[in-house]
Amino acid sequence: MNDGTLAAAKTVQPQPAAESRNVLGWVLHNVVWIWLIALVAIFGFFNEFFLTIFNMQNITVQATVLGMLGLAVALPLLVAEIDLSIPANAGFSAAIGALAYSDLGLPWLVAMLLGIAVATAIGFFNGLCITKLKMVSLIETLSMMIILQGALLALTQGKTLTNLSDGYIWIGQATFAGGWPVMPLVFVLALIAMSILLRFTTLGRSIYAVGGNAVASKSAGIRVDRIKVLTYTISGFLAGLAGFLLASWQMAITSNQGSSYLLYAIAAPIIGGVSVFGGRGNVLGVLGGVLLLTVIQVGLAIISVPSFYVGMIGGCMIFIAVAIDAIRVRYFG
Amino acid sequence: MLHQHQPMPEGDHILKVEDVSKRYGPVIALRGVSIAVKRGSIHGLLGENGAGKSTLVGIISGQFPPSGGRIVLNGTPLAHADVRAMEEAGVFLVTQESMIIDHMSAAENLMLGIWPNRRGFVNWRRLTADAARMLEGSGIDPKARAGKLDAVARRKLNILRAMFSGGKVIILDEPTAALTVADRRVLFDFMRRLKADGVTFIFISHYNDEILDVCDAVSVLRDGLLAGGSDDIGAMTSEQLSELVLGRGLALFQRERQSHEGKAPLVSFRGVVAKHVDLAALDIAPGEIVGFTGLPGAGAKEFARTIFGLNVAEAGTIAIGGAEPVPLPRAPRDAFDTGIAYLSDDRRREGSVGQMSIGDNIAMSSLPARSRAGFIDKAAESQVVDRYFQAMGIKAPTPQAAVDTLSGGNQQKVCLGRVLATEPRLLIVDEPTRGIDIGVKQDVLRIIDRLSRTGVAVIMVSTDTDELVRATDRICIFEHGAIRETLTGADISTERLRRTAQA
Ligand SMILES: Nc1ncnc2c1ncn2[C@@H]1O[C@H](COP(=O)(O)OP(=O)(O)OP(=O)(O)O)[C@@H](O)[C@H]1O
Ligand SMILES: [Mg+2]
Repeated sequence: MNDGTLAAAKTVQPQPAAESRNVLGWVLHNVVWIWLIALVAIFGFFNEFFLTIFNMQNITVQATVLGMLGLAVALPLLVAEIDLSIPANAGFSAAIGALAYSDLGLPWLVAMLLGIAVATAIGFFNGLCITKLKMVSLIETLSMMIILQGALLALTQGKTLTNLSDGYIWIGQATFAGGWPVMPLVFVLALIAMSILLRFTTLGRSIYAVGGNAVASKSAGIRVDRIKVLTYTISGFLAGLAGFLLASWQMAITSNQGSSYLLYAIAAPIIGGVSVFGGRGNVLGVLGGVLLLTVIQVGLAIISVPSFYVGMIGGCMIFIAVAIDAIRVRYFG
Repeated sequence: MLHQHQPMPEGDHILKVEDVSKRYGPVIALRGVSIAVKRGSIHGLLGENGAGKSTLVGIISGQFPPSGGRIVLNGTPLAHADVRAMEEAGVFLVTQESMIIDHMSAAENLMLGIWPNRRGFVNWRRLTADAARMLEGSGIDPKARAGKLDAVARRKLNILRAMFSGGKVIILDEPTAALTVADRRVLFDFMRRLKADGVTFIFISHYNDEILDVCDAVSVLRDGLLAGGSDDIGAMTSEQLSELVLGRGLALFQRERQSHEGKAPLVSFRGVVAKHVDLAALDIAPGEIVGFTGLPGAGAKEFARTIFGLNVAEAGTIAIGGAEPVPLPRAPRDAFDTGIAYLSDDRRREGSVGQMSIGDNIAMSSLPARSRAGFIDKAAESQVVDRYFQAMGIKAPTPQAAVDTLSGGNQQKVCLGRVLATEPRLLIVDEPTRGIDIGVKQDVLRIIDRLSRTGVAVIMVSTDTDELVRATDRICIFEHGAIRETLTGADISTERLRRTAQA
């Protein structure tokens, strides 16, 4: 019904002037990865220990917990909501799992699954509050965070839980083939599962649609509330998994387990290009953000920057990444 | 006269567009356009979807810079002028899509950026008083939350804002698209009155009759170039305008009207009650196209939204294809699953997800049918995307382009494609050709006509009398939530509709 010549006529060959712009655009699009490689090189230059296999193994372990939390935070962001309670949920649900083993005498596996189930239920509950009660997600999850942090303190009575079974801590300690840790495999599996979810399922497509324009999504036949609840539920499940891995790795649950991850878990997906306005972002970006933050943390420790400066320098590095990304969005869309 | 503007002495032109071009990456939206607008005139701007009209007025009003060329206002070339600077110079743009802040009141929106203030403090008393005066007679409650206003009121609000901000050049990008015949007349009278006071207008529309009615001069864009125009609208005819727009003659579509009396209905509605709706019974035959019309709030649109599950139904049943009557769908998903599809008239808010691709949008509503156990069947998806991308004639390099980058009319085609892809048994289209150019309008009416021949029942909600007359078998005129009058066969005519609209 259309002569079709217009589209063809409007597409012209990119000219040389446009090419250098394209290169710059490409660089800015991949700024997280380039910055990551640059930092690895810089840290390696200051201390060659940074580039050893042993340290790489260390980085992958460190990145696992942050990565699981980052994925959990990314999901609500994609539907244009937020969940601040995720790190607190991870700590609280892990304590439930540990206490179910040590105090109720459940087998460790059952206890661990119970912990993850609790985390999932908390995610589900957050989703219900935000959709059915129309609570504002920022405030709802903020108060949930405070509740969970308080509950963890009450559960542990301020003490550190260390009575964990051997089975429970296995995954955090086990290695294979020359000392490579097993734990990061869980993260890799989660990354794969999440990319499949986002790219190949109707749920994934709906998540992007709801985040992009919830009103239009509704009239296009997407059950917006259900999608949001599902998103929060999956996110709660990931938080539970992250909590288990963290406890298993550290072989302990402190009375403020998880809380220190809050800012990094939110920063990682955003640095990786997940939009706080919803509908934009992908799994690879989250991975980039997680690795970048981990490399900064580990690197600053290794080149023995005096601890008084670590926070400031790390913050500046994150700031640079975010600023470059903002410039990219401004000029290259 | 045609194809050329007469040279004019400098002082006569308030605004000159000189050799302006604009490119978006590989897409060239404007390729060297020059237009001169006479002081105190209404200058029409016409052209197909994607011809570059919105781009041109966007540049004039400082929304974004041109890639080449310049804008001359009152003989002064303007470089790097942004929206703020242009508004201070008296150039205002009322965009195609309402720019309204939903959580503010109508009054606040009206005074946005022009708040009466004393040393930086907003003078709320004066703001409320001024706004109330401006909104008088417009039917808009100054205290109403803007998010709750319908498309018509939102459009009015935008126009009023520019008019009362002391604009010297006011650009209206398809301002009539959401207005009833009566509202249009009010708007045109208002424009003429301001024109007499020396205000200059640039007026974009896809309706030739509006251009001929209200404009003094006209310029036509085609594919980013100035295709022609005239400084004397009196010398132009509608056919000439169409030919300039399309570059070829226009074959107006006319459906072979059919009588469906006595046929077994495909869909039957009984006792539908909702806000603004109280309708006892309505039957639609397979292959029938029923037009719904009426004043805003009379129930035509509300009925359509209720049976699609977007508005809450208090009571009512639907029976499709001779099946038992069941309650009305409670959500759009249920409606799609029972074979009802609805195309909203509010494309910006309800039509598409702008940041997603054309393909993702086309597939969105029919995705459950093209997936297995939650996994999208990519082959089936790309098949349906390709099919409707072609059939709708969407002007974009590929279906991967984001809907945001399309012209208004092409976004509308994406929405229509999405709805048709669900292969509905009852298709409801709300202002289906709003914002679509005359050429594509005929195509869209033809598509709906062809669809009806496969046995699909169609409800066409429209305020466009011409389209109702050309494309429907029966017209229901709504009042107080019910059907006041039904026109069929030879009774269907533009004059008859005009008359009933006034009654
Ligand atoms: N941000 C953008 N990125 C890429 N292409 C764009 C962008 N904005 C507009 N275009 C393209 O520029 C061309 C002109 O668009 P424009 O919106 O000016 O058309 P229009 O004449 O206003 O059409 P309509 O009648 O449909 O509103 C179109 O091909 C459109 O796809
Ligand atoms: Mg336009």
